[in-house]
Amino acid sequence: MGGGDMIRRVQLTGFVANESPHKFEAGTPAIAEAIGLGAAADYLAALGMENVHIHEQELVSYAMERLEEVPGLTIYGPGAEERGGVTSFTFEGAHPHDVAQILDEYGVAVRAGHHCAMPIHERFGLPATTRASYYIYNTTDEVDRLIEALYRVKELFG
Amino acid sequence: MDDLYREVIIDRYKNPHMRGELDPHDYSYHDDNPLCGDEVRIDVRVDDEDKVTEASFTGHGCAISMASADLLVESIIGKNLDEVKALSKEDILEMLGIELGPVRLKCALLSLKVLKAGVYGLESVEEELR
Repeated sequence: MGGGDMIRRVQLTGFVANESPHKFEAGTPAIAEAIGLGAAADYLAALGMENVHIHEQELVSYAMERLEEVPGLTIYGPGAEERGGVTSFTFEGAHPHDVAQILDEYGVAVRAGHHCAMPIHERFGLPATTRASYYIYNTTDEVDRLIEALYRVKELFG
Repeated sequence: MDDLYREVIIDRYKNPHMRGELDPHDYSYHDDNPLCGDEVRIDVRVDDEDKVTEASFTGHGCAISMASADLLVESIIGKNLDEVKALSKEDILEMLGIELGPVRLKCALLSLKVLKAGVYGLESVEEELR
């Protein structure tokens, strides 16, 4: 496979590759992606990363407070002040994938699985966890909706 | 709302009819789906005419995978092995009474995969090659 910047010389019997890093960058570079990344960085800089952090902290603290109210629910990891905007949890009697599916039906998009961290799931003897994440575009109303949907899970599986 | 979690699925998940191990058995197979952690073993006993007299399953996983294992194992009692081998994806979906996307389809079909591997004798092949 060759093309673009990766070639130094082409002959009938073969080719000579360009020097590194160009030889690994065949074809059209990711121009739109690079411009998009710049726009995203500008957007976050305008918000202020400190404000992003404060908002995430507010949401994750509120979420953990509310999640702890739900009977049968276990949250994994440290307290709110020591974590980013993510909460992984399990629900007694309901499989993490079933929990995610029901939340989905309530318009709450979460992830279920190992979250690229299979060893720690094995360490805790868990087949998977359900993970809700909170970021700048989320609100406390949405956390309330998550909790409401979790009570529906409890109704079905509890 | 909650279409995927029809009463029959939740009920079979909480109170399976066919859970257990058969020892001795004529056919047995075990497999898992490491990505989601679902695990199923199915044991089968047949009579002289290769008709299933008893069958059971063990394992763990989500409601869809466990309910489908329970319904599938129950459905093969009295069937002969050729009928078991002919079971299809559509038969499973009909038993569950739901439509599934590609991700959850894997949950629903794990038990069929295990059952077929069992009755086709994959276990004995694996032992032979060990």
